[in-house]
Amino acid sequence: MKIGTYLLWAAMAVGTGIIVLLGYFVQIDQIPADSLIGNIFTLRLLIMGWAVLLAAVALGIGLFNLFLVHWTKVSRQGPGWKYSAILIVAFVLTLLLGLILGPDSRVVLFLFNSIQVPVETSLMALLAITLSLAGFRLVAQRRDLISLVFVGTALLVLIGSGPGILSTEGLFFSFFAGLRNWLVQVAAAGGARGILLGVALGSIVTGLRVLLAVDRPYGE
Amino acid sequence: MSGVDLTGLIILLLFVGLLIFFMTIDRRRPATFRPIKGYEALKGVIERAVEAGERVHLSLGTGSVIGTDCAPALAGLAILTSIAEKTTMSDKPVVATTGDGAMAILAQDTLRKVYSDARALPRYSPISGRMLGPTPFSYVANLPILLGSEDISVHVLAGSFGAEGALAADFGERQGAFVLAGTDDAQSQALLYATAEHPLIGEEIFAGGAYLNVGRVHRASLRVQDAVRMLIITGIVIGAVLSLLGVIR
Repeated sequence: MKIGTYLLWAAMAVGTGIIVLLGYFVQIDQIPADSLIGNIFTLRLLIMGWAVLLAAVALGIGLFNLFLVHWTKVSRQGPGWKYSAILIVAFVLTLLLGLILGPDSRVVLFLFNSIQVPVETSLMALLAITLSLAGFRLVAQRRDLISLVFVGTALLVLIGSGPGILSTEGLFFSFFAGLRNWLVQVAAAGGARGILLGVALGSIVTGLRVLLAVDRPYGE
Repeated sequence: MSGVDLTGLIILLLFVGLLIFFMTIDRRRPATFRPIKGYEALKGVIERAVEAGERVHLSLGTGSVIGTDCAPALAGLAILTSIAEKTTMSDKPVVATTGDGAMAILAQDTLRKVYSDARALPRYSPISGRMLGPTPFSYVANLPILLGSEDISVHVLAGSFGAEGALAADFGERQGAFVLAGTDDAQSQALLYATAEHPLIGEEIFAGGAYLNVGRVHRASLRVQDAVRMLIITGIVIGAVLSLLGVIR
């Protein structure tokens, strides 16, 4: 029974994956809609539509999971349970307001614009401080050549990008601006392309492992 | 064939063929990979965390399953399999978190399978695979509470991250945890290099399965990456030389 179920999930995942993948190799404007390949392309679009719907359902399940995690923490009075209690109250309140008044209502939009957006923006601002401190920590704790080159390059690009450097003429300033441009357009761009190439190859083989049902994250 | 991209299909078949080839020769000619400091250290710290009754946390990032950025999280699930196998019998088993609902379900299924294989299914808890927040920064905002309240001493980031990845890694550093972090985005990798103790650079995140002994397919897939990379590099060099000689433009 267990083997049968596993085979069913694997067959569904592989079949769906192959149909979607083949759809990417078809140039639809050159294919008659009623041919086999044309039908595969149509089926691919249908499956992609289902995937979006399923992802929305999964978001709902994820939110329920989030609620359950914090509910468990509050009921056990574990460490940090007060934060979980605040989350549950905010969660239920926002959900009720959204359901009753609608997601586009002034109250819900006010809550979103006055709480969610400022909090997320503050975290973004915190990132600048975090990165500055991380730069100092890097020099202090990891004193190898690569780290020093990393920090040195970041400083040079920072200085070269500053308004004082870019707007000032003269040999000293144009040297920094030129060095910055070389670092960004030649060294960094070349390195980033190498990284992207490696990431693309890694993504392809990871996808293939799922497509061949070797990796089965959908369980058994 | 008109209307069908045969080149793409041939390249895909090349990948499949190489994968099967390297799987076949894996026992006779096992691969030797260069050491990656982060993965080498991870094996030791997981053992220490299990012995000390501390928890391992794996973040699968904030990418969506249906997005183009799901590949690093799928690679992260292979790392999760390896970590879960080592922590199943621990008092505090691994916790996996993500910013996507569907990815949380995949993490739960992965953990459930490991517990089932270890005949320890009663120990499995569905909340060991969690969605922390639906947006990147709401996900990161929840991390310090998780790290502080669940005795986490090993903090692994293996998934798709934007700028928020730097905060996620930094929270782990502040907690005094071992931090191993990798992602697919080149800019985020630079941020992780500065903030994480053990950053994974380039495609190293996709090598987790091979380095943590998840299976021979993972070793074979890493060898496929290397082989195809060599082919591409050869092509680039030949192209550059021919271009210099004026044979091609």
